[in-house]
Amino acid sequence: MNTTITKSFHVEHSIEDVWANLTNPEKVVACVPGASLTEKVDDNNFKGAVQLKFGPVKASYGGLVTFTERDAATHKMTLKGTGTDTKGKGGAEMVMNGKLAEKDGGTDVNVSMEMSITGMLAQLGSRLINDVSNQVFDQFVNNFKAQLAGKEVDSSLHAGSIAGSMIKGIIGGKKS
Amino acid sequence: MTQCKTSKEIGGMGHSLKRKEDARFIQGKGHYVDDIKLPGMLYMDIVRSPYAYAKIKSINIEEAMKVPGVITVVTGKDLEKYKLHWMPTLMSDTQMVLPTDTVMYQAQEVCAVIATSKYAARDGREAVKVEYEPMKPVMDPFKSLDPAAPVLRTDKPGKKDNHIWHWQAGDKEKTAQVFANADVVIKQQMHIPRIHVVSIETCGCVADYDKVNHHLTMYMTTQAPHAIRTVIALVAGHVGLSEERIRVVSPDIGGGFGGKVPVYPGYVIAIAVSFLVGKPVKWIEDRSENLQADSFARDYHITAELAGTKEGKILATRFKVLADHGYTDAAANPSKFPLGLFSICTGSYDYNAAFVEADAVYTNKPPGGVAYRCSFRVTEAVQAIERLTDMFAKKIGKDPAELRMQNFIKKEDFPWHSPTGWIYDSGNYQAGLQKAMDVVGYAALRKEQAEKQARGELMGIGISTFTEIVGAGPSKDFDILGIKMFDSAEIRVHPTGKAIARFGTKSQGQGHETTYAQIIAEELGIPAENIQVEEGDTDTAPYGLGTYASRSTPTAGAAAAVASRKLRDKARKIAAYLLEVSENDLEWETGKFFVKGAPEKSKTIQEIVFAAYTNHPQGMEAGFEATHYYDPPNLTFPSGAYICVVDIDKETGAIHIRRFVAIDDCGNIINPMIVQGQVHGGLTQAVAPAMYEELIYDGEGNILNGTLMDYLVPTAVESPKWETGHTCTPSPHHPIGAKGVGESPTVGGPPAIANAIIDALSPFGITHIDIPITPYKVWKALKEHGAYDK
Repeated sequence: MNTTITKSFHVEHSIEDVWANLTNPEKVVACVPGASLTEKVDDNNFKGAVQLKFGPVKASYGGLVTFTERDAATHKMTLKGTGTDTKGKGGAEMVMNGKLAEKDGGTDVNVSMEMSITGMLAQLGSRLINDVSNQVFDQFVNNFKAQLAGKEVDSSLHAGSIAGSMIKGIIGGKKS
Repeated sequence: MTQCKTSKEIGGMGHSLKRKEDARFIQGKGHYVDDIKLPGMLYMDIVRSPYAYAKIKSINIEEAMKVPGVITVVTGKDLEKYKLHWMPTLMSDTQMVLPTDTVMYQAQEVCAVIATSKYAARDGREAVKVEYEPMKPVMDPFKSLDPAAPVLRTDKPGKKDNHIWHWQAGDKEKTAQVFANADVVIKQQMHIPRIHVVSIETCGCVADYDKVNHHLTMYMTTQAPHAIRTVIALVAGHVGLSEERIRVVSPDIGGGFGGKVPVYPGYVIAIAVSFLVGKPVKWIEDRSENLQADSFARDYHITAELAGTKEGKILATRFKVLADHGYTDAAANPSKFPLGLFSICTGSYDYNAAFVEADAVYTNKPPGGVAYRCSFRVTEAVQAIERLTDMFAKKIGKDPAELRMQNFIKKEDFPWHSPTGWIYDSGNYQAGLQKAMDVVGYAALRKEQAEKQARGELMGIGISTFTEIVGAGPSKDFDILGIKMFDSAEIRVHPTGKAIARFGTKSQGQGHETTYAQIIAEELGIPAENIQVEEGDTDTAPYGLGTYASRSTPTAGAAAAVASRKLRDKARKIAAYLLEVSENDLEWETGKFFVKGAPEKSKTIQEIVFAAYTNHPQGMEAGFEATHYYDPPNLTFPSGAYICVVDIDKETGAIHIRRFVAIDDCGNIINPMIVQGQVHGGLTQAVAPAMYEELIYDGEGNILNGTLMDYLVPTAVESPKWETGHTCTPSPHHPIGAKGVGESPTVGGPPAIANAIIDALSPFGITHIDIPITPYKVWKALKEHGAYDK
């Protein structure tokens, strides 16, 4: 099943600083909850692992991350990831597009993420995937901002807190 | 209602005898396939594909083999060595048992893990590592025929597209002419969605191959044990499993509904493994496997059209079907009818022009097309014609009950020849609908509806007046893989006048142990409680094609009556001998022969049977047994008039079924209590597709509701109170005038509900919503039609 999420946010950092972090695999992957880099194949290709948890369903994906576009002139980048479940229970594909624009001395960040999930996770977690992905993406944005500010980045997957904030969202509490 | 001709003690037709089988079921003493435990038995679990379409790059069993208790892992390559990796389907297509290189749908069997316990087998399954190369699946049946679509069945030499078959019935030219000249034409695209039977018991088997005696005993959940025995012999004859060495036993079955007719790969893998290792192998599906991989039902896309006059006379209908069969045509239909009996779609109405055509296509979905509580695609047909009829009534502003009354085939016009070639045996449709209208209080409800609508409240009344076609079938047209669709009964009466009767059918909850005994009791006067009914063991029961499509009473029930009458003929001869009179001087009254004019001179059936063993006439064969293989001269055509009343919450779209009146006409009734139970269950399985159930796939081939958390099966909570009743128009050609009832409610129920909901929404101009009609769909339709605009 497919899901697309788009986020736009503003940071008080120069476009070059933001660009440097967004296109640095070590830095950007560190901001993705549950993700880690395991091997650098070449400048554009990296091997990595991602853990996902949707309610009771957990999946670990291993795969390849590729920068298919990194245009410093227009500040546009595209990152493609393909992975398979380490137990052969399915696969996932992800395309992330990032675009930066200078604004009021800071930078507007526009990121969209398109995910396609196949296999057991899609079967059992289809009703949760949108909400959980949204929460994971929010966590990514917070991490990315923290990293720019030179603060500690928490890249662990907060499945519990994600579920908690979803429930709060549903029952009308303030989203974290 | 059928009059009882026998006393309560004899318990023939028309008595609400308590079900004989319930003594064991309600005390937990039913014996199902998972209750079978054999010495040395191994357990099988199946690794299934996460992808809808992928190449298998490798299967790594190393870790699985390290799991304590795991004996072996069987792959398609292993079966290929014995040419057991492919099997034929009932529709003469081919299906993988296990794949050697490509998987064609999500949840397809990939390999099987065999272990000493079911837990070890499951652990082993988790440890198998399969590497796939996913491909883009074809999920949309309309796009499947696109020349750009990949050809899925590359295993078929020369296959250049995804088309399976084309089929048609009726008169195309004549119908086109009537349409061209008609005042009113209604056209509606409908989808009868893919659903699942969800029987309480999943499928499973214990395959027990005895290497010393070269004999296979196959205990399995099958509705057609004899046909399965023949299929096993055809599939595995080349490895030495010839038919006399195969015994199929179908123990108690916890619901079949058509889902236990096909041969699933799991059965064949279990047989192959038992054959190879020489030990019994048990395979039992879990709930998700059952829902995701076993045969689906329905999944017809129908373009339905009706032509009529502005006064409300139906003149012609036309139907174009696109059938999504998944990756192979594993439907369960009589061989000559790939579209099943869908051509009953002309309905209960008197007109003489119709044309039906259909195309079936392959997609990357599980195979199937079972007759889910339905005589081969009749449910799809009835949904189409009954929706069309209602749309026609709305369009010309006529009451849908009045329009139906105007168009019904009249009772004096039977036998009636339908425009698609069927000969309806009997019916009295006006009486059925009138009774339903009287019971529900139709006129008062319409008045109430008008008042509610004036206040802005949503209330709807829906009618379905359906004709079914069941009891397949006459040998001229009906066979499965060449075997004619007769069915059989064998009656043996013991010296003390008690009997055992065996049948080629197999009950899955229908109550055969009671109803067959009642038919024999009616014909011979032996009390039903003294007649033991046995089915499901191919070593003892006479050959028959099994129980599905409401065929048991029309075929095996008829066989029971005819075999009983053969015995009565013999009894007459013995009675004449004992009473020293001519056979012509004897008269039969249930349970005894007496001399005409001298009723005190008589012999009871028990006395006659005893004589058959102790004092039979010289020259007569001893014993008291008869067998009959019944080949029906025609199908039977049960009918019904159902009326549903709904209230809808305008703000949320929530639908409440307030009333549901079901008047069935199934001819003569064997056991009214069992018929009522059948109707209750069937109606609940009508609410299911009308309002809740649909198997949903995304574009990547993932099933999005593959568990009962997401696939909504109605429970007692969702079931309204059913108000049932009958009219009785016996079948003129059936020995006991019965027609079959088990499927009528499932077939006739959904359009009554759909019509009621659309009726409630019609003030906003809503004319059609595809089933399942959920609150969300109702809310969405209301929103689109401006119901919430200020």
